[in-house]
Amino acid sequence: MAIDTKKCVGCSDCVVACQTENDVPIGFCRDWVVEVMDGTYPQLEIELRSERCNHCENSPCVRCCPTGASHYSDGGIVLVTKNECIGCSACITSCPYDARYVHPDGYVDKCTFCLHRVKKGMQPACVAVCPTKCMYFGDLDDPGSEVSKVLKKRKYKTLIPEAGTKPQLYFLI
Amino acid sequence: MREEIIVSGRNNPLIDPQLHVWHWEIPTYLFLGGLAAGVMFFAALYYLRGRENDYRTAVKLAPMIAPIALALGLIALFLDLHHKLYFWRLYTTIRLESPMSWGAWTLMVITPVSIIWSALHIKELFPNWDWKFDFAKELIAFFQKNKKVLAWIMLISSAILGIYTGILFSAFNARPLWNTSIMGPLFLASGLSAGAAVVIWMSKNHTERKRFAQLDLMIIGIELFLIIHMFMGFLASTQVQIDAVKLFLGGPYTASFWGFVVILGMIVPAILEGLELKGYKIPVAIPVVLVLFGSVMLRFIISNAGQASRWLY
Repeated sequence: MAIDTKKCVGCSDCVVACQTENDVPIGFCRDWVVEVMDGTYPQLEIELRSERCNHCENSPCVRCCPTGASHYSDGGIVLVTKNECIGCSACITSCPYDARYVHPDGYVDKCTFCLHRVKKGMQPACVAVCPTKCMYFGDLDDPGSEVSKVLKKRKYKTLIPEAGTKPQLYFLI
Repeated sequence: MREEIIVSGRNNPLIDPQLHVWHWEIPTYLFLGGLAAGVMFFAALYYLRGRENDYRTAVKLAPMIAPIALALGLIALFLDLHHKLYFWRLYTTIRLESPMSWGAWTLMVITPVSIIWSALHIKELFPNWDWKFDFAKELIAFFQKNKKVLAWIMLISSAILGIYTGILFSAFNARPLWNTSIMGPLFLASGLSAGAAVVIWMSKNHTERKRFAQLDLMIIGIELFLIIHMFMGFLASTQVQIDAVKLFLGGPYTASFWGFVVILGMIVPAILEGLELKGYKIPVAIPVVLVLFGSVMLRFIISNAGQASRWLY
């Protein structure tokens, strides 16, 4: 997934769409907006980022899971199998992005890239609802996909690549 | 002045504003597991070296604490799980990459071993103990015959248990304070020190107490050495690790770490044990309680401070 920090206005529509689509319990979120203000007054710059699980290629959460509940699914999407999860929270501690939380029902929950929608050929809820169309979703291995094309054209960054997890959420800058 | 202000819209319970997903259960278990590992390690070591009559407490009596400590530790671990009814999933798979899987399987081996070892020596504690059933007597006789194998299993699995309590933390790259391989040996040393302290406490034999006081002194020396190296490693590392270790160097955990863990838990008992070895009369309970206290505090402080350390982006 690629997210255009220049187009994002920080409206949090993605957050609400995700909560509605995925029945996220009240008080929790699978995606969130981060606002970074940087500079010396009055020369200030704001970067807005819609953040979520980075679906890392080298996921510490998958590695540390003692039961195999955290796993890579189709296309590298990192998922948790509810009835294999024991709620030990090892994955939560292992995630440098703090993208996971304990669902009130006991298992650990996180962004699924709306795999249930993607399988039907639809976009993830956050992408579909974005009013400024700042998010691009698709197969990074397919050079013809929208996300591959935009990454070829634009400059981008990933979040703390030095943590070594090979994050797959690209922020266009 | 150039400033960077980060505002996050995320406020997930147990995650924000600071990770606090592991409470008292994990450090309590780590202490009890480390203690059991320490006691069992010495028991197996001195049995294999043929000193079971010289060090009767260490080989025969002190290990009886291990099954109790492990049982209480396992209860704490179980309480920590959020999806408790699925705990058996730990035992449907072996995941070599996951320290927690290693721990679960090590406990599966070491808990029965600790019970068997205690059963073999129960008559030392209760001379009139009667196993009543023939099959129990046969089982005990079988293990008695293979005690050497049992001791080897105990020696190896207790070392794995002791190290794993630290590796559990150090495997998390996301928490810079935990992410040092020194955590494994440090927690093993702390567990061995707690085990030696318990032997000193329980033993009535002067030679045995002296030997374990010497051992404890040596292990405390190793712990201090490891702690110094941990700080050197952190301070020579990346910014996130420098920030993490500042929790102990002027940050919110400074007083509790240096006061409770290093001074009260290591230096003071080391001085007291040293004085005792020189012939001064010191109530044995004082250094022992201090060592155990330091061992508990080490785990609580590392667990909490580690969760407070993070990557900034």
